[in-house]
Amino acid sequence: MSEAPLIETRGVTKVYDHGPGAAAVEDFSIEFHAGDFAAIAGPSGSGKSTLLNIIGTLDKPTAGEVLYEGGGVSGLAVEELSDFRLRSLGFVFQAYNLIPVLTAVENAEYPLVLQGAARAERRRRALEVLGWVGIEDLAHRRPDRLSGGQQQRVAVARAIVHGPKVVLADEPTANLDSKTAASLLDLMESLNRERGVTFIFSSHDPAVLGRARRVVQIRDGRLAGDSSK
Amino acid sequence: MLTLAWRNVWRNRRRSLITIASLAFGLSAIMFGQSLLKTLQSQLIEKSTGTITGHLQIQHRNIKDYKFPERYIDDPGPAEAALKAHPRVKSFGKRIHVTGLVSSPVTSSGVLIAGVEPSRESRVTSLSSYLTQGAYLKDGAHGVVMGEKLAQKLDLRLGEKAVVMAQAVDGSMGAEAVRLVGLYRTGSTIFDTQIIYVPLATLQEVLGVGGKVNHIVVRIDDIMETDAARRELAETLGNQPVQVLSWKNVDREILGIQRFQNGLLKVVLVVVFLIVALGILNTLLMSLFERVREFGVLMAMGARPSWVMRLVLFEAASLGLVGAVLGLVLGAAIIAHYGRCGLHLPLGEAVSYFLPFPSTLYLRPAWASHAGAALCVMATSFLAALPPALRAGGLKPAEALRHV
Ligand SMILES: Nc1ncnc2c1ncn2[C@@H]1O[C@H](COP(=O)(O)OP(=O)(O)OP(=O)(O)O)[C@@H](O)[C@H]1O
Ligand SMILES: [Mg+2]
Repeated sequence: MSEAPLIETRGVTKVYDHGPGAAAVEDFSIEFHAGDFAAIAGPSGSGKSTLLNIIGTLDKPTAGEVLYEGGGVSGLAVEELSDFRLRSLGFVFQAYNLIPVLTAVENAEYPLVLQGAARAERRRRALEVLGWVGIEDLAHRRPDRLSGGQQQRVAVARAIVHGPKVVLADEPTANLDSKTAASLLDLMESLNRERGVTFIFSSHDPAVLGRARRVVQIRDGRLAGDSSK
Repeated sequence: MLTLAWRNVWRNRRRSLITIASLAFGLSAIMFGQSLLKTLQSQLIEKSTGTITGHLQIQHRNIKDYKFPERYIDDPGPAEAALKAHPRVKSFGKRIHVTGLVSSPVTSSGVLIAGVEPSRESRVTSLSSYLTQGAYLKDGAHGVVMGEKLAQKLDLRLGEKAVVMAQAVDGSMGAEAVRLVGLYRTGSTIFDTQIIYVPLATLQEVLGVGGKVNHIVVRIDDIMETDAARRELAETLGNQPVQVLSWKNVDREILGIQRFQNGLLKVVLVVVFLIVALGILNTLLMSLFERVREFGVLMAMGARPSWVMRLVLFEAASLGLVGAVLGLVLGAAIIAHYGRCGLHLPLGEAVSYFLPFPSTLYLRPAWASHAGAALCVMATSFLAALPPALRAGGLKPAEALRHV
């Protein structure tokens, strides 16, 4: 038998308390592996965000479970989940990712602040990662003085600064024009290829999906296809 | 986290400044009240002890109404000896207070006749400092000193004669002619119209009591030592038929007034703190609502709920600290201003019916109380932050992230 997958969902179902009644995600089972550059594809309302939130331990499934390297996370207490995310996960959201009162480098280093890293060390590391995403010159600007694309790059830097097992990105390009979106994907791809960062991102944009090495289709909350290049 | 909390405080500058200003104004208003009260009360005590009651009194053991001692100390000698020997005693004087009558050729008036030892009395109470005409009493002369108003009513001028009358101990009516030697004006209706001063010896003759007195009034070096001095003197005089009383026993009303004022201040304090607390609560709830998504991002990143709670509490504590410091500065400035320039208070006129009382008060700080109030301001802002902090900590990351 091969090693346990990095992430595995087993029969994950989510029914929202105040939702339409139908399940937002239903009996969803899939595996992701270290090194993946995978997209979750589906139209609006198909359940992409719900699935990514459950994978990211931000929400609990109504039924089924999520396993990381073979271990279930459903038994973890709230604070343990926080610590798990702090150690193992990185997030990029669609917009308003950054803390507005902190500069780019302060945002990028925040996971390390939460981890209690020494000041000099975390600053050095954050600047290094900002270099990878091409933002080092703007390190001391606050988010309101960065463009949308620059903000997303800082968000990516923050998502990888602590060396997580996987970066979960829910529609990271949805607020960007196509050129900026493409260059953000270039960045993600190179981080994946050169630095081994695992990415799972969602989108409904064919141009974005075309960049993924693996595309997982979701329709009405159900798995509707899984293809790899 | 401190950096983040501190910057968050300043992200909505106007709102935070309004909150801080309300904290600072609240605190400085409270400090003003505390200082005013302290000044008022210490003036009240100073004037009461300084013009009539003294710090301590020695009276006959069986007296119940300390304000009007109706029994005499037959032999004041041992008490005088004890007072002379006591290190804390600054000065003392024997006295008789009786109610009686003072008559001029025109009319007469019921008064409290105070028989005092002229040379000693002026070192115990400050009445002689209110003289406007003539001179204070002298030992060995049948003089009388009274308020200008009373003299006017009696149509008496300096140097003219009046008759003081009081019931002697044997039941007969005693009377003595006295010459008006001094007039005073204290501003107090009671002092200016209802008390006259004659030498103790004169009054003793009128009453036929020989060398007896009905109380001895004592001034000690430091009013704070009143209770200690009282205990020590009571011990020394334990075998004498006398009791040693402090101004607190003699002038119960002052303590009552104090208690009333302190209670009132507490009510004001609670109201001010409630307003302050609601202001902070409002500020924090608003800023919380605006930042729900941000808390979601922090929690997704791995911030624990308890960390998010502490962040909100730190923000409140920063507001409280800045507000308290500004309030202390502002309050101290206000008190210093009225300490230099004085505060004209109509209240003084009400009090001065009973007592000579200044109508302009020079405020003094009450640092212990001010520090307490500042701590209360900080504690209040902290407590007011608890509900928003709990709410922030209770956010579910997925829901918080959906918030825009
Ligand atoms: N918190 C919630 N409460 C109730 N219903 C919800 C909640 N979140 C999502 N839903 C519903 O669940 C379904 C899936 O929503 P989800 O946000 O996961 O879809 P999505 O694929 O991310 O869509 P989009 O592309 O618009 O972001 C939708 O029908 C949505 O209305
Ligand atoms: Mg979505």
